[in-house]
Amino acid sequence: MVSPPGAWRWILLPVLFLLLVSVPGGHVGAYPERPIRMIVPWAAGGDTDAIMRVAASLLEKDLGVPVVVVNIPGASGTAGAREAKKAPPDGHTIFSVHDYIHTTFYTGVADINYWDFVPVCLLTSTPSIVAVYGRARWRTFRELIEDAKRRPDEIKAGATLGSTSHFFLVLIERKVGSRLWRYVSYEGTAPRMTALMGGHIDVAESNLTQLDKARAGQIRFLALATEKRHPSAPDIPTLREFGVDVVYAVNRGLMVPKGTPGSVVARLEKACESVARDPVFADAMLKQGTDVRFLNRGQYTIFLRENDALNKALAEYVGFKRR
Amino acid sequence: MIDLWLTGLSRVLQPDVFLSLAAGVVAGLVGGAIPGITITMTVILVLPFTFGMDPLQGVATLIGVYVGGESGGLITATLLGIPGTASTIATTFDAYPMARKGEPGRAVWLGMWAGLLGGLLAGIPLVIGAVTLASLALKFGPWEYFSLFVLTLSIVSSLSEQSLLKGLVAATLGLLLTVVGSDPLIGAPRFTFGSEYLRTGFPFLAVLVGVYAFAQLMRELEKRHEGQPRLLAAGSASLAISHRRIIREVFQQWANLLRSTLVGLWIGVLPAVGGSAANILAYDQAKKFSRHAERFGTGIPDGIIATESANNANVAGSLITMMAFGIPGDAVSAVMIGALIIHGIQPGPLFISTKPDLAYGMFSAYFLATVLTVPIAAGLLRLLLRVVSVPLQFLVPVILVLGAIGAYAINNLMANVWTFFFFGMLGYVMVKCEFPIPPLILGLILGDQIEVNFIRAIMTESNPLLFLTRPLSGLFLILSAASFAWGILQMRRRAVPGGLPAPSVRG
Repeated sequence: MVSPPGAWRWILLPVLFLLLVSVPGGHVGAYPERPIRMIVPWAAGGDTDAIMRVAASLLEKDLGVPVVVVNIPGASGTAGAREAKKAPPDGHTIFSVHDYIHTTFYTGVADINYWDFVPVCLLTSTPSIVAVYGRARWRTFRELIEDAKRRPDEIKAGATLGSTSHFFLVLIERKVGSRLWRYVSYEGTAPRMTALMGGHIDVAESNLTQLDKARAGQIRFLALATEKRHPSAPDIPTLREFGVDVVYAVNRGLMVPKGTPGSVVARLEKACESVARDPVFADAMLKQGTDVRFLNRGQYTIFLRENDALNKALAEYVGFKRR
Repeated sequence: MIDLWLTGLSRVLQPDVFLSLAAGVVAGLVGGAIPGITITMTVILVLPFTFGMDPLQGVATLIGVYVGGESGGLITATLLGIPGTASTIATTFDAYPMARKGEPGRAVWLGMWAGLLGGLLAGIPLVIGAVTLASLALKFGPWEYFSLFVLTLSIVSSLSEQSLLKGLVAATLGLLLTVVGSDPLIGAPRFTFGSEYLRTGFPFLAVLVGVYAFAQLMRELEKRHEGQPRLLAAGSASLAISHRRIIREVFQQWANLLRSTLVGLWIGVLPAVGGSAANILAYDQAKKFSRHAERFGTGIPDGIIATESANNANVAGSLITMMAFGIPGDAVSAVMIGALIIHGIQPGPLFISTKPDLAYGMFSAYFLATVLTVPIAAGLLRLLLRVVSVPLQFLVPVILVLGAIGAYAINNLMANVWTFFFFGMLGYVMVKCEFPIPPLILGLILGDQIEVNFIRAIMTESNPLLFLTRPLSGLFLILSAASFAWGILQMRRRAVPGGLPAPSVRG
């Protein structure tokens, strides 16, 4: 008779209540429930890393949980893609991706393509630039092309073979309708710019992050692959002005593993949109030579499909296509 | 100029920057000292903490890590014979034997003071000749890089005391290991046997720590039965040394110090050539210029002074390339550029002129970090010496676990841990069969670069004779051949009177 039933009730009821609430609570409106891992398939300090770190800090603000950048570099971005694909599809792993996902697939480097993931949003677009050695004799893009047509195979172009910096220059060759240069393997923007500054290569794809080197006269920007001239560098003409209809950029977006619930994707898409609209993000991207370009998941899916077809065709054109 | 210095210095001496810089040095020393955690990894670990700081404070912290890390690597190389970082491989050659002979304090402090002097000396061109030096470095084309790497590899193979042939076998094995994985041209898989993991190749760090830590520690465990239960007998693990005597010892070798500093500086300035090459090349030139070359590897000051002054000068060198042109001199400065970019600063050729306050702040941070390393290391050393005198049955598992964690942390993959163990076994077998380890490691570090630069050279100009006819490239190749000739000569000379050369402690 020491413990009256009333006392038990006081303990049991809250426990039962907690059990009832907590068991099914895992998937009803609880997302995000713990820190989110953002896989960056490149090393810390690279362009993607710098852009995505800013994005991660702003996503954090909108989602209310930490968004931790995890760099998984290796095998041209494939190691990170593989980790992202393997991750549980609960929205707690997001994958930051760019056009390499198509190129590595078609050149046979990876067996993962965009369709292994659910697209969330496109965030940024970094326009490509045709750059030449600072003391090169070509003052304009036209001079370069005319000279290149006269002696194809002599002008040396540095590029990560089978990747965006290669395909950009190939796209120009295709539009011009002639072989223009000989490709030399320089993987990564930094080694490529170093070789360009030293005059070991003549031409390479560059972007506005390298504006400082162009202003110092160590490299020369000849043409920008945008539709209109760019506000950060209005003195650089576009390729279209020379009658070469190439618009090209490195496009970065977010994806999640296949099987992620639609509600979770929608929540991430909303967060992504708020990042894209944030003036802090716009300001940071301006310094990155990058344009903010938001596409929602529907638009991004269409974009990916078209981009994939283009990259497939380019891989075929350069003879690198393996599938 | 003077006012820029004063602003830079006063900014760095303000408590917030000063404290984070000192914290960076501590982190660098600890990270560098733990085998399996490289300076690059430490910098990456520290990087997120700098996001909230102002740009100078952030970069100063990273510079602290970088400078401190080099000395941290020295401590492990000396006390354990395991290079704490890849840039201390040649430091183990003489520092470890000296420590084992009962002079750990002397060995560490020779390296520490040589590092300080080398670092300070190399700081001068960093401030006054950055652009000139970096412009010279740009002249290095794929031919020069190829031949320089071949030279480094030839040197380390011919340094082996056991046998030139075994050195070459080890170097070749290292080169062969780099063939595994995606090819550097278009990423076609090679020798991966269908394994997805192997497509990235063997992670270098897991191999380095595996081969060294395992081999070194297993040998120590064997010696346990010979009555050596700890690495350093408790009594000999003393730091009672006269700094004045050691500084005098360093100054007596001023020519060696100067040459090694220049070697380290220049290797640092060259983009994409890491501290491991600086360390080896400096050791080699010290040995070749020395009148008692045969005593190298037995624990003499010359080797320690050369390798450690080169290491610290290498840091100044890569800062030069980074600050003059915004080109990463090595993996660490690549992360540093990333840190600046995150703060919205894109370092490029206009960096020093458009952001002079930040640039001079970074110069000041470099000097301050170099100086601060000495007292901080002194404090840490006392602790680490005690660690080394822990009985082996406790010490060895802990180091191996740390190595495994480090391997995992490279890119958060469990398979790296298995790689670590596999190469640990390989290293042990190699040591048992008296194969030298450093050529294997250098082959692994340089293999990719040798291949990539060879391909680039051929893609640029199909004429292979350019390797010989471009003056610098030709010179490097001739020096490589000379290095072998010298090695053969040394062996002949030793083999004639005294029979077999004494077994070396070098692992």
